[in-house]
Amino acid sequence: MTTPRASADIRLDGVSKTFDGRVRAVDDVSLAIEPGEFFSLLGPSGCGKTTTLRIIAGFEAPDSGRIHVGGTDITDVPVHRRDMGMVFQSYALFPHRTVAENVAFGLRMRGVHRNVISARVYEALEQVALVGYEQRRPAQLSGGQQQRVALARAIVIRPSVLLCDEPLGALDRKLRQSMQFELKQLQKELGVTLVFVTHDQEEALAMSDRIAVMNAGRLEQVGAPTEIYDRPRTRFVADFIGEINLFEGSWQGGRFTMRDGRVLPAAADGARSGAGAVAVRPEKARIVAPADAAIAGRIESANFLGGQVLYRIAAAGDRHLLAKETNVGAAVRPIGAEVGLSWNAADAVVLED
Amino acid sequence: MASAAGVLPTAMPVPCPARPAVSPVAWLVAPALLLFVVFFVMPFGVMALLSVLSGNPVQVPEVELTWRHYARFLGDDLYSDALWATLRIGAVTTAAALLTGYPLAHWMARLKSRLGHALLLMAVIAPMLTGIVVRTFAWMTILQDKGAINTTLIGLGLIDKPLPLMYNEFGTVVALVHIYVPFMVLTLTGVIGRIDERLEQAARSLGASRLRAFWEVTLPLSMPGIFAGSLLVFALSISAYVTPFLMGGTNVLTLPMLIYQQVSSSFNLGFAGALGVILLTVSLVVVVAYNHVLARLSGQEGLT
Repeated sequence: MTTPRASADIRLDGVSKTFDGRVRAVDDVSLAIEPGEFFSLLGPSGCGKTTTLRIIAGFEAPDSGRIHVGGTDITDVPVHRRDMGMVFQSYALFPHRTVAENVAFGLRMRGVHRNVISARVYEALEQVALVGYEQRRPAQLSGGQQQRVALARAIVIRPSVLLCDEPLGALDRKLRQSMQFELKQLQKELGVTLVFVTHDQEEALAMSDRIAVMNAGRLEQVGAPTEIYDRPRTRFVADFIGEINLFEGSWQGGRFTMRDGRVLPAAADGARSGAGAVAVRPEKARIVAPADAAIAGRIESANFLGGQVLYRIAAAGDRHLLAKETNVGAAVRPIGAEVGLSWNAADAVVLED
Repeated sequence: MASAAGVLPTAMPVPCPARPAVSPVAWLVAPALLLFVVFFVMPFGVMALLSVLSGNPVQVPEVELTWRHYARFLGDDLYSDALWATLRIGAVTTAAALLTGYPLAHWMARLKSRLGHALLLMAVIAPMLTGIVVRTFAWMTILQDKGAINTTLIGLGLIDKPLPLMYNEFGTVVALVHIYVPFMVLTLTGVIGRIDERLEQAARSLGASRLRAFWEVTLPLSMPGIFAGSLLVFALSISAYVTPFLMGGTNVLTLPMLIYQQVSSSFNLGFAGALGVILLTVSLVVVVAYNHVLARLSGQEGLT
């Protein structure tokens, strides 16, 4: 059914973009996205992820830096010659055209013959499970269906690169999860390189082959979801992705000492010294008796999450710690209990910055 | 009501007296409705009535129904020529106002700077603050034989005789376009401003050049504005009296001028009424046809 199509790699070399001569929206971003990869740009709003996507699409020209797609420098190629599919946050369907006309648009712009167009529109609508909706107008469709039309319109031109700007942001949670699955499935089926912009870390972790976390126009870290989650390099990434316990202190001879003099379990090579920070995921922290703990405190609250229980523990120095225990049938620990936290030195993430 | 329902053992639906579903806010349209009836419906009714009567029923009680005034209109080419001149001036003025107004409206609607937008808006509205007569006289000083354009061209030796820029339909249209183009611009700006810019971006990402994206997306979606703006300018210019009178001189005769003559010098209210009815009917037909054509062009069900 699906025709194999070439997917292309994308390379950004030192791309910067400033708005109004003041705001550095994108600051010296260099990226190499593999052909056929599901690549996410993740970050809070205003971090430059959408601007980066718009630079790849050609809607914004970078102030400096080059963009290569499939080995060709496309920095100066206008939008309509870039041959990329794009799905917009609000779908941007043409309200005055039917579903079939919306999907056919890109083919019509390419001068594809009428008979071929109808066959390929059918094929694209089949891929997004919308056959039978050809003559509807966008306004007569639900949000999820509009999303599929936008997707069909972008893939029907068989782009080598598909760009998605928070495409699932407007959908409710349940629909979003099923669309995540379908989009991922479709991307693998088409083998297209997909650049996905999102502020939703769960979405990025669930879907991506690799994630680039952005903050204030700069790349904080690029890596596979497990790497981003388990080995965040910076305080920003550690804090932005999931929940984490952050400890400030200093290194000396491979030992991490907090400001109050307590030594925490953490492993780094002996050469490391000076101020630093380590981070421990709540699910890697074990709740133990205060005597055996790296750090002690009192249970302040217990949130039963179904599969897990999340404890908030008040420790000395007005510090709050998080620990997650898997629900294996044991009773939820009482609030006010004196406990302590401990973890394996290998599970403490050593932050670079 | 909840307790009362509990008392009634048979769960019969209690018939409620149907209250008229008129919101109290609806009364706010009353003054406008009153004005419309007193100053449009009634005068128009009187005018339409007079157009089919043999005389003025107030002066001559024994009047009878007659098609005389309409027959007179059809019997003389002068009148149909005046009708065509009116419609032609209206159509050309509307087209010219659309062609000059659209780019300006598009620019205004897409302008990011608030200050720039405010300045442009001022520039569009400011001429409307001077009276029609003043603006028409201004055009006369520019277009007449000894006006700015002809004197300059003759002075430069480019022409020997002054160009006929005034006392014809050309001069009339120039002045009418200038006077009525703000209505077109303001109407279009509102509509274009509400078109999502991302639609055009989507078209471009799908392979349409800027021009093609405009042609395929923005233009069809601004059809309601084109229709409303055209309607305004057309209605205003076919009913214009002062400007065609001053700019057209004796060479231009439009229906409003004819009607004015019939009322003020010939005192033939019946014929004036017939002319009014004919102008209104023909322009309604033109407007409905225009709406159909635009709707067809933009691929939409209906515009208004």
